[in-house]
Amino acid sequence: MRGDTTEMKSIQNPLLLMEGITKLYPENSVLANDNVHFEVLEGEIHALVGENGAGKTTLMKILYGLQRPDRGKIYYKGKEVHIKNPTDAHRLGIGMVHQHFRLIGKYTVTENVILGREPRRYGMLIDRKKARKSVIETARKYQLEIDPDAPVFKLSIGQMQIVEILKILYRESDFLILDEPTSVLTEQEIKRLFETLRTLKQLGKTIVIITHKLHEVKAISERVTVMRQGKTVAVKDTATTDERELSRLMVGRDVILKFERESIPKGETVYKLENVTLTERGKKVPLLDNINIEVHRHEIVGVAGVSGNGLTELEDIIGGLRRVTSGKIYHDGRDITNLSSIQLREQGLAYVPSDRLYRGSSLESSVIENMIVSNHHNFLRGEILERKKILNYVLAQREKYSIRCDPNIPIGMLSGGNIQKVILARELSTQTDFILFAEPTWGLDVASSEFIYEKILSLRREGVGIILISSNLDEILSLSDTLLVMYRGRIVFYEENKDLNKEVIGEYMLGLRDQFNSLNHTTPRTEVV
Amino acid sequence: MSNKNGERRLSDLAVNILGLSVTLLVAFIVVIVLIFLLSKQPLNTIYYFFIGPFTNRYYFGNMLNSSIPLMFTGLGIAVAFKSSVFNLGGEGQVYASALVATAVAIALPNLGGLFGITVATLAAALTGAFLAGLSGYFKMKWNTDELISSYLISAAVILIVNYFITGPLNDPTNSLLATKAVEKQYFLARIFIPSKLNTSLFFALITVVLVYFLMYHTHWGYEMRICGLNREFARYGGINTAKYLVLPMLLSGFLHGLAGSMSIFGTYHRCIKTFSFGMGWNGIAVALIAKNNPIAVIPSALFFAYMQAGANAAMIHSDITYEIVSIVQAVIFFLITAEAIYNYFRYKPSKKYAERGGEK
Repeated sequence: MRGDTTEMKSIQNPLLLMEGITKLYPENSVLANDNVHFEVLEGEIHALVGENGAGKTTLMKILYGLQRPDRGKIYYKGKEVHIKNPTDAHRLGIGMVHQHFRLIGKYTVTENVILGREPRRYGMLIDRKKARKSVIETARKYQLEIDPDAPVFKLSIGQMQIVEILKILYRESDFLILDEPTSVLTEQEIKRLFETLRTLKQLGKTIVIITHKLHEVKAISERVTVMRQGKTVAVKDTATTDERELSRLMVGRDVILKFERESIPKGETVYKLENVTLTERGKKVPLLDNINIEVHRHEIVGVAGVSGNGLTELEDIIGGLRRVTSGKIYHDGRDITNLSSIQLREQGLAYVPSDRLYRGSSLESSVIENMIVSNHHNFLRGEILERKKILNYVLAQREKYSIRCDPNIPIGMLSGGNIQKVILARELSTQTDFILFAEPTWGLDVASSEFIYEKILSLRREGVGIILISSNLDEILSLSDTLLVMYRGRIVFYEENKDLNKEVIGEYMLGLRDQFNSLNHTTPRTEVV
Repeated sequence: MSNKNGERRLSDLAVNILGLSVTLLVAFIVVIVLIFLLSKQPLNTIYYFFIGPFTNRYYFGNMLNSSIPLMFTGLGIAVAFKSSVFNLGGEGQVYASALVATAVAIALPNLGGLFGITVATLAAALTGAFLAGLSGYFKMKWNTDELISSYLISAAVILIVNYFITGPLNDPTNSLLATKAVEKQYFLARIFIPSKLNTSLFFALITVVLVYFLMYHTHWGYEMRICGLNREFARYGGINTAKYLVLPMLLSGFLHGLAGSMSIFGTYHRCIKTFSFGMGWNGIAVALIAKNNPIAVIPSALFFAYMQAGANAAMIHSDITYEIVSIVQAVIFFLITAEAIYNYFRYKPSKKYAERGGEK
C-alpha cells in the first residue's frame, strides 16, 4: 500500500494539516479513521474520495467539530487548533455544507442565511433591511443567483444548495467543505455548482469536496486524496491521474464501470399502469398525471426524474401504500388497483423501497425479525412462529447474500450495504414475475452496488419484469431496457434505451424538453408552485 | 468488521440489569438520605423500611399479595407500550371491572367455585377490554389520540362506578362505602395465613408466562412488536396496522380487568369505594421498570410492593409518613425514564446510518 503514497510527503506550509487522526465509533466498533493524514493547500479545490464507509465524512466532521477524534492533531494556518464544535470551526473560518441540507423550509433565503448571526437593531431586534442588504451583497460578490425573499421550500434542490453555500460565505469563511454536494443534483445543476466553485476559488476560497463520483474529481479538483477503509491511501495531482487509477485506489481492485446487458427479447406483459392519476384532496395539480407504463418479462423499465416530480408517489402506489385517484393497475392481467399492501403481499408483491431505513427496515428489530416481515406466515405452526425454522432460513439467506453479521443484533447496527442486502434477501425470496426497485443503490459503495446490479440483471435473465426508479442516471442508463422520465407528475419521455445519453435525459428531467407536449418544446417552463 | 461487532456490546439483558441496579441503588440512597432528614429516629426507621416487610408472615404475605394486581396492570401497560399504543385508562379499567366482577358474583350467588369465579372474571376482563378497546377503535377510525381518550374515558368511568357503589349496589348494613360482599364460595383460597395472600398469585404468574409466549412466540406478538417499533415498515411488509391499534388496547384492558377481578375475589371480597386507586398508575411504573418485558414485570411488581410495604411498616413502627414512597417512586421514575444510565452501558443502534440516509 505504501507504494501508492509517494506523493504523501508533507508539502511546505499547507493551509490545513490533519495528522494521525484516529476515530473509533464505539457503537459498532468501526474504526472510521485510522491514523489519517490529510493536507489542503491554500486556494485549491481538493477532492476527497472513497467508497461509503471509507471515513471521508468522519474526517470532515472532525474538522468541522461535529466529532472529536480519539487521537491526532489539526493544524490550520500553521497553528495547532482544537475544534470542539462547529462554532469553533466558524471562528476559524471553516464552513460545511452537509449532504442533507439544514435549512428551515418556511423561512426565506435571507432568514436562513443570517440564522445564528443576525444583524441587530437596538441590541435585540433583527435588522431585516440590513440583513437583506448584506445577503444580496454577499451573493453578488460571489456571483450567486438567488432571490433573497423566496421561502426556501419553494426552491429547487440546486438553489437550496446555493443557500447553504451562501450561509457559509455570509459568515466570511474561507474554507468550505462540501459533503457529496452532487448526489442530489441533475447534470445541469452540477455544472452550475462547479462554475460557482471555480468562481469561489478565484476569489481566494479553499474548497474540499467529498464525492464518490470519479469523473467529477477530474472535472473540478486540482488535487485528490483517496481514502480506503479509514486510511489515506493516496494523494494525487488530478491532472496526472485518471478515473481508472482512482477507482482502483478506492476499492483496491479494478471495478467494471460498464457491464454487459445481454440482449434478451422481452416477453409478454406482466405489469401495467393504465391512465393512473393521483390527486391530493383539495388540490388541482395532480401528483401523478395520466401515467401509462407497461412492463414485460425480461424487461427493466427505468424511471428517472428529479425528486419532487412524482417518483415517490409512483413508488407508493405500486407498493400499495397509497391509493390512486383514477386509472387501473394490472398484474398478470388481474386488476389489482387500490389493493392494500396486505392484499398485495398476499399476492406476492416484491418491492425494494427507496427509504430503506424507515420503510424497508425496522432499525431496532433484529436482522431475523426484519427478514421475515412479509413472509413470516410461512413459518407458522398453528399460531406459533417456529423459531428454529426461521433461524435456519435466515442463516441460509445470510449465506446466499453474503451478509456478514450476527442475525440477532438490531439491523440498525449494520452498514448501509448490509441493510440493503437483508432487504433484497427478503424481497427476492418472493416468487413473483414483477419487482419494484426504488433507489436500490442510493448511498451505497461500489461493491454493494455491483452486487445489487448483478441481482437485478439475473432477475431479468430469469424472466422477471422490473421497474427501476432511480435518481442515479448512470445506473438507469446502463441497466434499463426502456427508459422513461417524469417531470411534474407526467411522463415526458418514454423510449427504448438506445443511444441515449445523460445530457438529453437531464434536459427532460429538468422539464426543458417534453416528448408529449409540443407547446413547451423549446422554452423552459416558468416555475410556478 | 462484523467480528469486531458485538465484542464491546453488552447483551440487552445485562445492560438492563446493570442499569436497573444503579437506579435502585440511587433510589435506596435517596430513601436513606430522606429518612435521616425527616425522622427523629432514623436507624429505627431504616430498619423498618428495609427489613420490616420480612419480619413476620403477615407483613410478608401482604407484600406479596399487593404485588399481584401490579403484575396484571404492569403486564397490561407493557403489552400496550410494546405496540406503541398508550393506555392511560388503567385506573378506570381496574375499578370498573372490579365492580362488574362483584356485580356478577352477587347476581349469581349460587354459582361460586371455579366456574362462578371464571364467569365473573371473564365479565370483568371483557369490561376492561371494552373500555380500553374503545380508545383503540377511535384511534383507528378517527385518529383520536388514544392516550387522551383512554384517560378521559377512565376518568368518567370512575365517577359512574362511584355512583353504583354508593347508590344502587351499596350495602346499607355496612358503614363502609362499599357494595355487598360476594358469597363465601367466590373467595379465593388463602395460602399464607394470617396474610391475605391467595391463589391469585399463581394465576398472575401463569398470565405473565402466557403473555410472554404471546408476545415472543406467536405471529400476533411479532406483528404487534413490529408495529410498535415501526408502523411504516409494518404496513410496507403487509401487516394489518389498523388491527394492531385495537388489539393491544383490548389486551391491555383485558389484563387490567383481571387485576380488578382478582383483587375482589382474592383480597377485598366486595367493591369498596376507591379501593383500587393507584393500581393503574403504578402499573405504568411497573412496566417502565420492567422495560416492557413481560417476564421482568414479576420482579418489578415485587419491588414496587416491597417499597410500599416498607413504607407502611416504617410508618406504623416509626415516625415517617407514607408519602416517602411517592418520593422514592418519583426518583425511580426519573432515573428510569432518563435512560442516561442505560446508555452508559449500551450504545444505541447506530445513528450514523440514520443520518446518512434518512431523509432525502
